[in-house]
Amino acid sequence: MRARILVAALAAFAVSTLGLAACGQKDAPGTAPANGAINLYTARHYDADLALYDAFTRATGIKVNRLEMDPDQLIERMRAEGDYSPADVILMADAGALARAQAAGLFQPVITPTLQAKIPASLHEPSGLWWGFSRRARVIAYDKTAVSPADVATYAALADPKFRKSVCVRSSDNVYNLSLMAALIEHWGHDRALAWAKGVVANFARPPSGGDIDQIRAVGAGACKVALTNTYYFLRIAASDNPGDKATAAKVALSFPEQDGVGTHVNISGGGVAAHAANRDKAVKFLEFLTSDEAQEIFAGANHEYPVVASVKPPADVESYSHFKADPIPVEVYGRRQAEAQSVFDQAGWR
Amino acid sequence: MTRAIPWLRIAAYLAAALAIVPLLAVVVLAVTRPASADMPLSLLGRYALDSAILAALVGVGTIVMGASSAWLVVMHRFPGRTFFAWALALPLAAPAFALAYGYADLLDVAGPIRTFIRATLGVEVPLDIRSLPGAAFVLSGAFYPYVYLTARAAFLSQSVCSLEAGRTLGVTAFGAFWRVGLPLARPAIAAGAALAVMETLADYGAVKFLGVQTLTTGVVRAWSVFGAPGSAARLSLVLMAAAAILLFLEDHFRRGQSFGATSARWRPLTDIPLPGLRGLGATAYCALLLGLGLVVPAGWLAFKAVSATPDWPAIGHAAGVSFGLATAGALLTVFLAGLIAFGARHDLVVKRIASLGYATPGAVMAVGLLAPAALLWQGFGVAATATSTGLILLVFAYSARLMASALGPIESGLARVTPSMDRAARTLGETETGALARVHAPLAQGAIWTAVILIFVDVLKELPATLILRPFNFDTLAVLADRYASDERLAQAAWPALAILAVAIVPTAFLALKVARSRPGAPS
Repeated sequence: MRARILVAALAAFAVSTLGLAACGQKDAPGTAPANGAINLYTARHYDADLALYDAFTRATGIKVNRLEMDPDQLIERMRAEGDYSPADVILMADAGALARAQAAGLFQPVITPTLQAKIPASLHEPSGLWWGFSRRARVIAYDKTAVSPADVATYAALADPKFRKSVCVRSSDNVYNLSLMAALIEHWGHDRALAWAKGVVANFARPPSGGDIDQIRAVGAGACKVALTNTYYFLRIAASDNPGDKATAAKVALSFPEQDGVGTHVNISGGGVAAHAANRDKAVKFLEFLTSDEAQEIFAGANHEYPVVASVKPPADVESYSHFKADPIPVEVYGRRQAEAQSVFDQAGWR
Repeated sequence: MTRAIPWLRIAAYLAAALAIVPLLAVVVLAVTRPASADMPLSLLGRYALDSAILAALVGVGTIVMGASSAWLVVMHRFPGRTFFAWALALPLAAPAFALAYGYADLLDVAGPIRTFIRATLGVEVPLDIRSLPGAAFVLSGAFYPYVYLTARAAFLSQSVCSLEAGRTLGVTAFGAFWRVGLPLARPAIAAGAALAVMETLADYGAVKFLGVQTLTTGVVRAWSVFGAPGSAARLSLVLMAAAAILLFLEDHFRRGQSFGATSARWRPLTDIPLPGLRGLGATAYCALLLGLGLVVPAGWLAFKAVSATPDWPAIGHAAGVSFGLATAGALLTVFLAGLIAFGARHDLVVKRIASLGYATPGAVMAVGLLAPAALLWQGFGVAATATSTGLILLVFAYSARLMASALGPIESGLARVTPSMDRAARTLGETETGALARVHAPLAQGAIWTAVILIFVDVLKELPATLILRPFNFDTLAVLADRYASDERLAQAAWPALAILAVAIVPTAFLALKVARSRPGAPS
């Protein structure tokens, strides 16, 4: 009786595992080289990326096997896989994460004429370990009915006592906030950055919670007057058909801070070829494809990011927010100062 | 006392060893890697305090909701009772993170309820679900069925004699609950609440989404921001210790006390009719629990989902992957748990250690799973990173993480084998193996199926192990939901989240119905 159950259960287990593996094999050739596929590890979680991979497959006939996870998990997983990692290409949504992957030794240098010609020098790692493929700015969203643009012309303004109980932000361990803080520490030094963080904490309308879109909606709902957000989240709300989103977009405006100073904080999405890539040539082809007009238009059109290739014109809504002075600081600073940035946030009590 | 057969015992130890490999890896990391994360002690103190408060609130919340509703349903007659008897268990089918999505959006400052109140009354109500009390509320609603199911089973198998003796001695109807039923069901309720608290400690998606900062946040920060897995592992030790204490307490409550019925005579429980308003009140109370735990958040998600066009091919593929992984995970886990339960029947320590993975936070488990996986990947090279190896690794990870959920029911099933039954079998000429096969296994058969269903549903909802160990193109429904949620596309995330519910609700309902019929002596 027990033996029968045992045998039946083991058989069912074997069948379901094999079935799964077969179902995976059908569309996931795994590590097998030379079958027209590249293996992509990505920390980007946007729907637009699927369109990007499809476009690459259409253009080259090379299939993209995709594995998506958080940057820290991705880095640890590749470390654990070591020399046998099946990854060919790594993509990250933030320069800080790219720098951490670089420090973990996950990339190999790649320099091609195409990449060099199309991507500005400040947006890639000098030896070609990683390249930026799209840009986004971290800006201040404000309530048009309560705040004048002049009052939010700098990041420092967020710590101004006139915004007491008026600032909405997300939590400090969010990588976009960490990168902004890393840049501020670089410009201002540790002490001024800490004083600023304390000032912002004193101005909190509520404890940090939710994502960027939640902050924009909170401004729209009147729960706060100013908030920090990445540009593409606002543009996504502005492009929505939802009546609530339309009302929010009508009430909220974006300020690109530091136009009279060093420029607005800009971050990149980017990637490079994995250190142990079995399909290096195809991986390079993929990186070059990401700088093509078609790919750059997908970044801009489907995810409202800024193209990095100067000749590509973004759609009108992205275009109208693309004329600003960007902080020219090398983005690798974000990775180098990330831990320090978290410590400053912690000292300031920014949850 | 009978001793387990050597081969079975060895197999049991092997199975238990497998379950604790990731936890051992965490310990090794904690000891060997430097702890370089720069986190102030005050901050860690706050994380620990928030973890403790959250666990305590969920513990109390689930006990109050689960035990009261179980008593109501077992002992009373009111409109809708037969429906609620099984429906009250249904929140178990919904992943906690999905309920968190629903509530966070519904009660957001820009959400429909607060916008309406602001527009009509001109005041801001502080209904903040993204807070510690908010998270405790969501998780209590999600996890009360654990207490409901165990308490209900206990109330169903209680002796009419105790209750009648109580009434003869003059206790009121409420007294019968407070002074007889509840104390006798204490071990069952404690076991259910322990499961709920362990789930709370282990939760990955819901607490993260609600922005509550617990020790798990500390682990993730140490790991991701400071790049210090050593520090992360040391923090994890605190959480693992908490889990061990919980398991110890649960045993301690039970030890040396007999809660069983003293009489072998089983008569049907006499239920108390609740006429008129009191009956409607009971109906409303049960509806409230089911509403808060499932209908309101899932309903709102469904409403949100309508505004998004689902990516059907992706959801279909993910549903297939989820179903396959859940089946494989359930069978392997129950097989291993069965080995442990049968082979190490009298080895409490082995059983408890094998259960630790269940209470270990998902983020910690991810740290621990990668280390043994690394040995495999780097030791066996390219073949080990292939899809099939990846799947086997993942299924074993499920077993390590969810062993307690299978061990619990199988153990309690085996507990129904009294020493006298054992001896009777031996006296009648059965060998030890024969007694196991022809007495123990048939008696525990129902419990084994319960375990299979529990693990199946648990794997459907599982996130951290799947995220970090899955092979290429193997997104489950939970992974898909998490991906959309990280991109702040809630309406899109709602579709896979609701798909999990749709797949899980049938086995959950079956389980609940099974418990409802479980009174000893009842016609089966």
